[in-house]
Amino acid sequence: MKRREFIKKATLTAAGAFVAPYILPSGRLFAPSGSQIAPHVILVMYAGGIRNQETVDQMYLTQSQYTWNPIPALNVPGNIMPNMLAGAAPTSKVVYGTGISGNTPISPILTTPLHSQGVLFKEVNAVAAGHYGGSIALLQGNTNLAQPLLDRPKTPTIFEYLRKHGGYKATDTWFLGNSLGNSVPLYNHSDDPDYGAKYGANMFIPGVTFGSQGDQFLKNAKVYHPQNELSPMYKMKYFLDNSYESLTQNNVLDVVGNTEAEKAQIKAFMKNMFLKKQAGSVLQPPVSGGDGLTVGYACEVMKEFNPALTVVKIDGPDTCHSDFTGYLRAIHKADHAVGFLWDYIQNQIPAMAGNTIIIATPDCGRNLNPNPILDTENNFRAFDHSDANTRRVFTLMAGKSITNHPDKATAPISSSSPLNTDAAITVGHILGVESEMLSSGYLHGNSQSLIRKL
Amino acid sequence: MKFKQIAILTSVLVFTFSSCKKDTIDDKVFQVENVSLYSSASSKLKEKTESQWIAVVYTNLFQQALSASDIYRAGQCITSIGDKELAREVIISNFMNSTSPIPVIPSNTEMRSDIDKFVKDSYERFLIRRPTEGEKQYFRNEITNDPLRSAEIVYFSFALSNEYLFY
Repeated sequence: MKRREFIKKATLTAAGAFVAPYILPSGRLFAPSGSQIAPHVILVMYAGGIRNQETVDQMYLTQSQYTWNPIPALNVPGNIMPNMLAGAAPTSKVVYGTGISGNTPISPILTTPLHSQGVLFKEVNAVAAGHYGGSIALLQGNTNLAQPLLDRPKTPTIFEYLRKHGGYKATDTWFLGNSLGNSVPLYNHSDDPDYGAKYGANMFIPGVTFGSQGDQFLKNAKVYHPQNELSPMYKMKYFLDNSYESLTQNNVLDVVGNTEAEKAQIKAFMKNMFLKKQAGSVLQPPVSGGDGLTVGYACEVMKEFNPALTVVKIDGPDTCHSDFTGYLRAIHKADHAVGFLWDYIQNQIPAMAGNTIIIATPDCGRNLNPNPILDTENNFRAFDHSDANTRRVFTLMAGKSITNHPDKATAPISSSSPLNTDAAITVGHILGVESEMLSSGYLHGNSQSLIRKL
Repeated sequence: MKFKQIAILTSVLVFTFSSCKKDTIDDKVFQVENVSLYSSASSKLKEKTESQWIAVVYTNLFQQALSASDIYRAGQCITSIGDKELAREVIISNFMNSTSPIPVIPSNTEMRSDIDKFVKDSYERFLIRRPTEGEKQYFRNEITNDPLRSAEIVYFSFALSNEYLFY
């Protein structure tokens, strides 16, 4: 290399070193290292504990009731998730549907089930046996043995990785929860000091936000003039905040960092939802109620905000602790809700149609053996979740760039099986922050994007 | 004669032991200790719970208490929304829109008739302290220089401030 050329290149390199780590508008320092596989992901936390026997194994009553009560009428296999899984429905003893005794299955919404569009990881290792631990493990990509209930996740959630390292804004990440119980309202961010609320997701618990409580305390919110009223109000608030911060440096709260424009959009969205609720026109799956309500509002959120990541928590099947018939119906209804959600995206949200990947995985499974409780309707045995069978779950993935594959991970659960917490790194991979997540040191040691296992 | 003595004695006893006592405000306050104003915001280090914040903001705005069950329900609204600051903002604007009861807020004329007093009262009402000279000056300028600036908007900013989240 000539001396002049060397000096030129060295100068450019030095200049680049000063310029390259620029501050992005989101406040983050570096651009994400990975490219997007798809711009939108939906992670469905599919149920509060469901057994592979009644889902991907399609054994319906055969391995739940017939095993313990071997009468021929209970030896009925079949698929009760027609929108998600390919397979024939049970031919007798149909109690999982609607109508009298649940004898009318809900018609499938998807003509091709997600299973036939994408890929099913059939035997996936659930890293936690409880709902809160299991659910936040899905979001953190790991489990934390020191994690108490009613406490924020201890390590960063996928929302925080995306917002800190991927430059996603607050309204790009949403969590839709089904209840205030089971610490569900704590899912939207961790209390990790390097991440936390300022990188958290927006969240609604629709049954409350838009329920009777919301009617009383949120619905009638005054709409202020943005320039003449709101802007001066924020200005004075920021003055007060600065005065306070200058005196108490260690006590300033972090909040999900919606910009004023994002806040205005969310407030307008809420106003619109209350109007739609009054008019009875909030989106709902054809057979609504329970998890359908959460899914309906999730569709409304996606239509309005086109988020990069939407996480929906479904947990109707947790009734299985005491009501196996209700559990079967809840699984079937949740499948119906997922079918509605996927169909709605493809047909009613142009920005997300053909551009979205859906991942559905349970927080945990359920026991192999039943507890002593019989449900009142069919005398079916109920199941809790604590034994080895609870580790057996599945992960279903479909959408943009996910072509149909034969089932993966069909061997019995072992140390080399995929983890349900792989959902987190898979989302990170799809949205371009995989390497940042892997290098954070917080993920399970065996974590790997499921897309890399195809 | 004896009857007259008895009547006089009875009258004296009645006037002595059962005369009316003048009511004072102190008489109507039971087991509530006087609270001193904070000398500075720096001593507020404890975060209010959602319920505490709702109870206090409602009392500050309406000058009356919210029932325990409503405090709980309003708290659930905050819990159900990811951006807590946005949730508080919507709840305050819901309160500001209330027609029964109506929030107790000075009129524009009252505010502008003595801005310094309004600012001092606002600090005492919401932040339980007196404003510094700099703070007084800031709000005096804000109100004076903007004819559209209402007491409602000023109150809104206090109720939404970070300092208001601590005690």
